[in-house]
Amino acid sequence: MNNRKPLQLSLLVASLAVAFTASATNADAHPPLAPLPPVPVPKDNPQSAEKIALGKQLFWDYRLSGDGSMPCVSCHLPALGWGDGGQISRGYPGTKHWRNSQTILNSAYYNKLFWEGSVNSLEAQAPSAAEGAVAGNGDPSVMEMRLRFVPEYVDAFKNVFGSQWPRMNDAYRAIASYQRTVVSDASKVPFDRYANGDKNALDTSQKRGMALFNGKAGCVQCHNGPLASDQKYYDLGLPDFAGFVDDPLYQVTHRWEHYQKGVSEPRYRAANMDYGLYYVTKNPKDVGKFRTPSLREAKYTAPYMHNGVFTSLQEVVDFYDRGGGSGTSKSELLKPLKLAAQEKQDLIAFIEALSMSEPLLHDDPTLPGEYQPLPAPIK
Amino acid sequence: MKWHRGRLTQTLGAMGLTATLTVAAQAAGQGDMLDLAPMPPAKAGNPAMIELGKQFFFDRRLSGDWGVSCASCHDPAKGWGDGLALSKGYPSMEYFRNSPTVLNAAHRKRFLWDGRLDGADPGTLARDMITEAHTMNMDGRLMQERLQQVPEYAALWQKWRNDDINGMRVFNAVGEFITSLETRNAPFDDFAKGDSTAITKEAQHGYALFKGKAGCVSCHNGPIGSDGKLHKTGVPEHPDVLNNPLRTITMLRHYATSGMPNYMSARSDVGAYAISKDERDVGKFQTAQLRDLKYTAPYMHNGVFDTLEEVVAFYNQGGGEGSALSPLTLSTAEQQALVAFLLTLSGDPLIVEDPGQPDMQPRVFGKN
Repeated sequence: MNNRKPLQLSLLVASLAVAFTASATNADAHPPLAPLPPVPVPKDNPQSAEKIALGKQLFWDYRLSGDGSMPCVSCHLPALGWGDGGQISRGYPGTKHWRNSQTILNSAYYNKLFWEGSVNSLEAQAPSAAEGAVAGNGDPSVMEMRLRFVPEYVDAFKNVFGSQWPRMNDAYRAIASYQRTVVSDASKVPFDRYANGDKNALDTSQKRGMALFNGKAGCVQCHNGPLASDQKYYDLGLPDFAGFVDDPLYQVTHRWEHYQKGVSEPRYRAANMDYGLYYVTKNPKDVGKFRTPSLREAKYTAPYMHNGVFTSLQEVVDFYDRGGGSGTSKSELLKPLKLAAQEKQDLIAFIEALSMSEPLLHDDPTLPGEYQPLPAPIK
Repeated sequence: MKWHRGRLTQTLGAMGLTATLTVAAQAAGQGDMLDLAPMPPAKAGNPAMIELGKQFFFDRRLSGDWGVSCASCHDPAKGWGDGLALSKGYPSMEYFRNSPTVLNAAHRKRFLWDGRLDGADPGTLARDMITEAHTMNMDGRLMQERLQQVPEYAALWQKWRNDDINGMRVFNAVGEFITSLETRNAPFDDFAKGDSTAITKEAQHGYALFKGKAGCVSCHNGPIGSDGKLHKTGVPEHPDVLNNPLRTITMLRHYATSGMPNYMSARSDVGAYAISKDERDVGKFQTAQLRDLKYTAPYMHNGVFDTLEEVVAFYNQGGGEGSALSPLTLSTAEQQALVAFLLTLSGDPLIVEDPGQPDMQPRVFGKN
């Protein structure tokens, strides 16, 4: 009997600890929205002007794709919010993709990339996109050899990386460096100007929207911190993309994704939705969960959600106002909000204040010239 | 032990003499025995696989961007090659070797010019061509899902197997189709079976040269006229391989992915060396078949010769740089006779109509 006491005591301590943690979470709420800090740069891929310039060329260069038709920029166009403007990304010729092409704006701040967080760095994201069969479908050894036949690239890689010949891994590092420059300019983001002291940077509607965002609408529960994303994964019960039901090419990609992501045969055979985070964890609790996207630059990045199912911020806000959709693992954070029409407008006005007042555009770079015959080998 | 060793040496010495004589006799005997042969009776393949393989062979959806099918570079109307000196390969690329005919593939001991694949395994040949980046650049898993989306293919598959269209079996079906492609009624076959009027007197003279003075038979033997071995004949480089960077890119990339040492310094087609990494294999290619040459110009691994006359003249001079061959001193008439004979090894043209691509259709979502 005596030896049960310590156990009871420890249970008591444990439950107190849980209670304390929960109240602490409520107390300091969530990391507040704030201006973005300087871009984090990995120690093994430092920025340099030359590397960024090279990465920009590579981002645009058609030679970095299977058949020379799908450079990075073809699904991440500056004028379309650095996405492709479509509900679902266009995909490699002969295929259709299955998810919305995400903006690369501020992607430098994410700890993981893709809607299900399947890679850990921009350096790892670039090959997944350039080589994936429904995206760039490039063979890295082919793309690498192509770069070696472009004298300007040979010189640039030698200058930046010190290698005799361009290497594909270095190409991906350069592209990642360039992407670290595709970030919001805080001086043009009304919210950032407001947070930095310009109290007139937000109008009254936007200020009301900010209060709703942090209060009644509860957006801040997930869209928090400088990125306006907690970088966690939730099931919102979103409607599925209709093309999976009746379009053969979408069905092909849908099954292929299940096959190549390594789900079990029963899952593959019964696949009737995008399982999201489940593909990474293979945990049934993660079915239908997707990473909270940043709200920065949302003004320019329609359509919205992992499957582009909403064409406007109005539709998005209406969806959350209803308490989201339906799903087996739908987040308990979603509840009907009972927002008035004016409140929705205010909320949208505030969300748009997280975007630059004019879109961030980059001019097309001048690409190196055509392939040239190799010089005689060095003896 | 000493005694034993001494006795063994003595014995081996005696045997050595005998062995030398035997080898000489065998060599002479082999020379006599080496010959061309009529095409053996065709082996019946699996009809359901052949039917499927035929569909897949002509279907552009077996390439990454739907740009090419097997038939793009192995066109029935062009001797099941592409009629070009150097093949085009996948869209945006240019290949660095000639597209060989797939006719009579069942009798090949090796596949591909550098002989890197086993002739007994045509499914692996199909896999290599379909998934290789510079030919069809297809993700095999995506290919499987595409084909499953075509109801006609699913139905044909059920005639073969009671499962879904899947993986390597798609390639095996293509392999079964190409090994069903044999040409028949070559005049030489009738001649070899005893019809002395089946080929002209000139061609018969050419045949004698083939086996004798010209020595072709030492490599070109058996039913399709190939020993399936690797030889160096010094075929000149095709200038476009270096002049056109797109072709050099595919060549050096092939070397790189084959693990060839110092591949960036290569400026010529090293042939089998890229596979074996044995210096003696530099510039070696497998013996081409002699069947159906009427339809398969241009010739050689890089299509550098447009006509059989050029090919014969090349061998007459003993091949090219680094060749293992000696000059033949054939007269013009003898060379003509040889060409006349070579053409008797071509059978009736084998034309297979493109069966067309049945459309993909929606499937019941969630019941895969």
